[in-house]
Amino acid sequence: MNRSVYNPFQTAQAQFDHAADLLELDQGARDLLRNPMKEFHFSIPVRMDNGRIKVFRGFRVQHNHARGPAKGGIRFHPQETIDTVRALSMWMTWKTAVADLPLGGGKGGVVCDPHNLSPREQEQICRGWVRQVLKNVGPYSDIPAPDIMTNTQHMLWMLDEYEAIQGEHFPGFITGKPVGMGGSQGRTEATGYGVMIAVREALKELSVNPENTTASVQGFGNVSRYAIELFQQMGGTVTCVSCWDQIDQTSYAFRKKDGINLDELLSIADPFGGIIKEKAADLNYEVLPGSTWMEQEVDILVPAALENQLNADNIKNINSRVKLIAEGANGPTTPDADQFINKKNIFLIPDLLANAGGVTVSYFEQVQSNMNYFWEKEEVLGKLDVKMTSAFIAVSDFAKANKLNMREAANVIAVSRTADACRNRGWI
Amino acid sequence: MRENKPLEKIIIDLKERAKELNCLYEVQEILHKPGATIDEICNKIIQAIPPGWQYPDICQAKIVFRGSEYTTKGFQESKWTQCALIKIQEEEAGQICVFYTEERPNLDEGPFLKEERKLIDTIASQFGLHVLHYQLKKVFEEKKSLSERKMNEWEVIVDLLNRTDPKLLIRISRKMVNYLYWNGIKEAEKLLNYFTPAYKEDDDLFTETNRPHQQKTGNDLTKLSPEIFQTAGKYLSEKEILANIQKWIKEDHSGFLVNILENTGSSLAEISSAVERFHHITPHSLELSPPREKSFRVALINRLLSEQHSFIKIAKQFIKVDSFTELMHKCIFPVGSHGKLGGKSAGLFLAQQILKKAAKENTLLEKIKTPKTWYITSDGLFNFISFNNLEDIIEQKYKDIGQVRQEYPYIVHIFKNSSFTPEIIKGLSMALDDFGDVPLIVRSSSLLEDRMGAVFAGKYKSLFIANQGTKQERLIELLDAVSEVYASTFGPDPIEYRSEQGLLDYHEEMGILIQEVVGKKVGPYFFPAFAGVAFSYNEFRWSSRIKRSDGLIRMVPGLGTRAVDRVSDDYPVLIAPGQAQLRVNVTLDEIIRYSPRKIDVINLEKRNFETIELRHLFRDYGHEYPYLTKLVSIINETHLQPARPMGIDFSKDSLVVTFDSLVNNTSFIKQIQTVSHTLQKSYDYPVDIEFAHDGEDFYLLQCRSQSSRPECSPASIPEDILPEDILFTANKYISNGTISDITHIVYVDPQKYSSLSSRKDLLAVGRAVGLLNKILPKRQFILMGPGRWGSRGDIKLGVNITYSDINNTAMLIEIARKQKDYVPELSFGTHFFLDLVEADIRYLPLYPDEGGMILNENFLLNSKNILAEVLPEYAGLQETIHVIDIASFTGGRVLQVLLNSDTEVGIGILAHPTEISGLKEKRDASLSKALKTDTHWRWRLQYAMELASRLDAERFGVKNLYLFGSTKNATAGPASDIDILIHFTGTDTQRSDLLSWLEGWSLSLSQTNYMRTGYYTANLLDIHIITDEDIKKRTSYAAKIGAVTDAARPLPLGTALKD
Repeated sequence: MNRSVYNPFQTAQAQFDHAADLLELDQGARDLLRNPMKEFHFSIPVRMDNGRIKVFRGFRVQHNHARGPAKGGIRFHPQETIDTVRALSMWMTWKTAVADLPLGGGKGGVVCDPHNLSPREQEQICRGWVRQVLKNVGPYSDIPAPDIMTNTQHMLWMLDEYEAIQGEHFPGFITGKPVGMGGSQGRTEATGYGVMIAVREALKELSVNPENTTASVQGFGNVSRYAIELFQQMGGTVTCVSCWDQIDQTSYAFRKKDGINLDELLSIADPFGGIIKEKAADLNYEVLPGSTWMEQEVDILVPAALENQLNADNIKNINSRVKLIAEGANGPTTPDADQFINKKNIFLIPDLLANAGGVTVSYFEQVQSNMNYFWEKEEVLGKLDVKMTSAFIAVSDFAKANKLNMREAANVIAVSRTADACRNRGWI
Repeated sequence: MRENKPLEKIIIDLKERAKELNCLYEVQEILHKPGATIDEICNKIIQAIPPGWQYPDICQAKIVFRGSEYTTKGFQESKWTQCALIKIQEEEAGQICVFYTEERPNLDEGPFLKEERKLIDTIASQFGLHVLHYQLKKVFEEKKSLSERKMNEWEVIVDLLNRTDPKLLIRISRKMVNYLYWNGIKEAEKLLNYFTPAYKEDDDLFTETNRPHQQKTGNDLTKLSPEIFQTAGKYLSEKEILANIQKWIKEDHSGFLVNILENTGSSLAEISSAVERFHHITPHSLELSPPREKSFRVALINRLLSEQHSFIKIAKQFIKVDSFTELMHKCIFPVGSHGKLGGKSAGLFLAQQILKKAAKENTLLEKIKTPKTWYITSDGLFNFISFNNLEDIIEQKYKDIGQVRQEYPYIVHIFKNSSFTPEIIKGLSMALDDFGDVPLIVRSSSLLEDRMGAVFAGKYKSLFIANQGTKQERLIELLDAVSEVYASTFGPDPIEYRSEQGLLDYHEEMGILIQEVVGKKVGPYFFPAFAGVAFSYNEFRWSSRIKRSDGLIRMVPGLGTRAVDRVSDDYPVLIAPGQAQLRVNVTLDEIIRYSPRKIDVINLEKRNFETIELRHLFRDYGHEYPYLTKLVSIINETHLQPARPMGIDFSKDSLVVTFDSLVNNTSFIKQIQTVSHTLQKSYDYPVDIEFAHDGEDFYLLQCRSQSSRPECSPASIPEDILPEDILFTANKYISNGTISDITHIVYVDPQKYSSLSSRKDLLAVGRAVGLLNKILPKRQFILMGPGRWGSRGDIKLGVNITYSDINNTAMLIEIARKQKDYVPELSFGTHFFLDLVEADIRYLPLYPDEGGMILNENFLLNSKNILAEVLPEYAGLQETIHVIDIASFTGGRVLQVLLNSDTEVGIGILAHPTEISGLKEKRDASLSKALKTDTHWRWRLQYAMELASRLDAERFGVKNLYLFGSTKNATAGPASDIDILIHFTGTDTQRSDLLSWLEGWSLSLSQTNYMRTGYYTANLLDIHIITDEDIKKRTSYAAKIGAVTDAARPLPLGTALKD
């Protein structure tokens, strides 16, 4: 293979190296954190519907568990590579560290395409996966969760296999379970609310009253909807929201200068995240091309849809009034756009921090499962607020103290916390 | 009127009834008097008749029976008469008549009351029965006495026949002669002579009587029969004679059917009554010999269903004579009709019979139903036309298509304001009584439909009617629908299609099928729980594990209209019955995105057909929706939960149609698979069926051969292709079809793509493809690339694009190049599989490293790459992305992809557009409309030049005008727009003037296009305005100017103004 070929793990290592340089980590710490601590590769034989046996490749990578049990999703992907899983497990270590959760980072997967598998076959893969790594995972060592092409159902099959073999109940073995089956309240709201809790704290630092701010949001899925809801509760005004139109195969931005009405838009949205443009026009919304969401004269931009939305081509189109960008989606800003944002002195809440609400509630699910006592939604959301607020303040203080931008600060603080934990354990 | 009659009238009426009853009693008495002779009886009856009639004083009666005539005293005939036939064993033996000697006011039947008609009929039939009884009694008595002198059994029968049914005896005698002759008995030769016409004439010469010829012959032959049977007695055993006589008598019972069926002149009414009669006698007395039964079947199939040999061959195995009885009850036809039911009706009827037969061995088929159906025969249309003197309309098909289109609305109007013949109205009225007030669908059933694989799908109208309200309203609505369907025969689409298929000169007759809509009432709506189409062969496989023979079901909630046709704004659910667990959509996102959102229903209150949002229906009437728990799943945060009875909260739960429970917990899949297999086996070719399910039963709505659908017709692959003309070959997962006139290829080199070193570059490839999708001529380019297009996982596995980045391509090709020791799995486009299917974008996987497969990399990599010219900003990727303008590199050739799943061959070849014009037509036909290949661009070009010549460049500040795209490339189809590039240097005012000037052109060109093709595009002109700056920067459209290949073509401006 050509060495210059794109490799996600190498990209992740390069990012780590940059933080390690800033922290002046010694070689031992670098060697430990640059690579996963444990990797499991195994075969899962499955009897297919036609009676034949097919063997699937499975992985589990535990990048680091110095801060607590490894946590991370299980992916089903037809051309899963170990390097992708390594990179993602490392990313989970940093993510849990930024949110200051007592967890490490892990990731797993099976090389398969669910499009070619019947539900029964998928179930056999899930159960097979658990049987192969049973001794190396568990509520106090490594907690899986759903990821690409896996869902609640897969988690329940895995949990059932684990508990069947152990002969006891361990709902804390896995997260992403439905409410009533060991799932946590508030998971739907978590990411969107988390984004706005971070925004609230950032505005405090900028000494801006949320009631005097306006925002434009990209996307109208779960993250955006709850972000808008909380922002409006905070007194802010959302003037524009954009979303994908399945029929026209393009996106539209819906604008109302004196503020959109969330309930009104929800009533004309399909359950698939799209707003019906004719009905929006009837309700006196301006229907604009999708790309205009970021050109609005607002204080806050919330990209909460896809990656690479703010890039070199369009970043100059953002309005001079914008003072805050909160990354609700993963990786919505390209490095080129990042430079521009820094140059313009726009406050950016990086994805690692801004969307940490999701992993935080997963952690709560695990905690509740372990004690088999489940909180009311208010309690979950209250605790989320506390966690997010302190995570934000820690990153922000670190940035100020070390003259870093927020993205760098989040990356560095994550590495720093993990390295400290390793050091305290006497590993390095 | 009757209700209001005064008391006096009622008393008169009652008196009349009493008189009639008296008369009847008297006749009964006469008939039952022991020992009375026929003469006595007749004479008494004529005396008894007049007092029973309203005006006894002027009433005369007459009986004619077996040549004798009995009349009342002073009898005289008059024109005021009423008669009834005397029948003995269905043979006319005479008649009874009543005459009034003076004129009386007209009542029900001339001067006679309708009660009197009943009375005379009753007397005649009583008399007939009595005579029969009398004769039989006599025979039995004689037989009893004869048996004492030990007569042969067959002699008894012959004697019996002689007395009761001499005509039958003659026919049997004749058969006996034939039989003897065939058995080589010399004496029979002489007997045979008696039956020749020559003999009769001779005989005539020697007789001196003046009695009618017919009767004489008959009598003579009766006299011959003893001789014949004596001869038979000499040579044949008693047993043999008896067996033969018995067989012939039985066969003779069905003789009437032979006569009617063999006579091509006999009308449907005659056939109908013959079939009816046959039905009534079969249970007891008929045992037809197999060849005779078969000949009946074939004759009936021929007359009613189809003359197509292939159809008859199958149908005769399944359709019994008796099956026609019920069918005939539900046929509506004009007087003297010789029509047929048409392809659709015949197909359904046959399928029904096949399943009925198969149900005896397979319980899954037992509950398959077909909706109640009535038929109007195909000559109903002509009957309608001639009844309304609309004969001129027949010429319509030879008119220019533009004229046809223009006149069509008038035809519809005229048809809707024309009337039907009374017998059709009566028939439809009976049909309505039979249906009750359930919604109906009126469908065409064309005779051409079953011919030569012609595809008339969707060409003629099918209309839903709510069938609500009073009987009169319902009848009017039904008549209206029938006339509209009739009018659709003269619509532009079918005429155009027939002209293309060379079917114009065939006489088109159209049968009508009136079918009960399967469904249940839900709120104000009526619809089936779900409906759809099932194909024996799966031509849209989304996984390598699905075999072609696993079949395919497209289904939707509600009326099947959304599954039968492609819908642009929604998705039907696809299931391969052989691999029902392998669904197209797997992740929650996919399942939700590609689930049906709308439903077609009949609104009973508004009395129309409607499309409504499913979620509104669930919210408002979810509780009433039949079978709902089998159809939907509940979105529960991050997973789908199958709906359970009593487990849905309609006010809160988000429901998504998945059919999960139907697939997993019912025998539906097995059932439909069995239906499909059974029909396929019987037809001996793949079929497609339309079905509906009302929550209780499975209904078969239609059945036809699958290859008659445009998307399923296999391409014929020429054998003499030069190897250098082949771009690629494929032999796996091939669907059927022809994709022609591809002018551009976008090829992403798999090796180069996988060696890109940064994520940024990998993403850029996706963006470049997205931009090419907007620039290249729509549906005339194909995308070829590594692995999995649009994979949302590892970007290295395939180009990162969404559906909107590829939605203009004609075809998506995934190339599986061998890597080290394995071949990567392809995605089969599953990320947007349903989008591809609904937009008719073809998908093809290539496995070039497998033995014998070709991928002409030399052509793809070494043809001139125009990426840098089209997208200068992505010039850096030209190692990876190759954009090839095929025509400019190959001297005017284009790419044509031929796919044939019957032979599992797919091939991409370079060919001249002329070579494939025939195929182009086929493809256009498959897109349902279109004229000849070259006409679309030609007139577009003419108009574009005309427009340029009339454009005042100074007035509008226009420097240059260019033509590009399909019109320039001579590949425009009926829906193509005209791409115009305007180099503009003027002011804002000039710009808006220019745009409004062009808008006028655009609107009138759209109208012209509509008149020519039936395609309506809001704006036919696609104007791109570019400025000096654009040209300097060479942004995408400006790059077209002066491009090395596929350059925009400048048109001379203002030439018409200067003149």
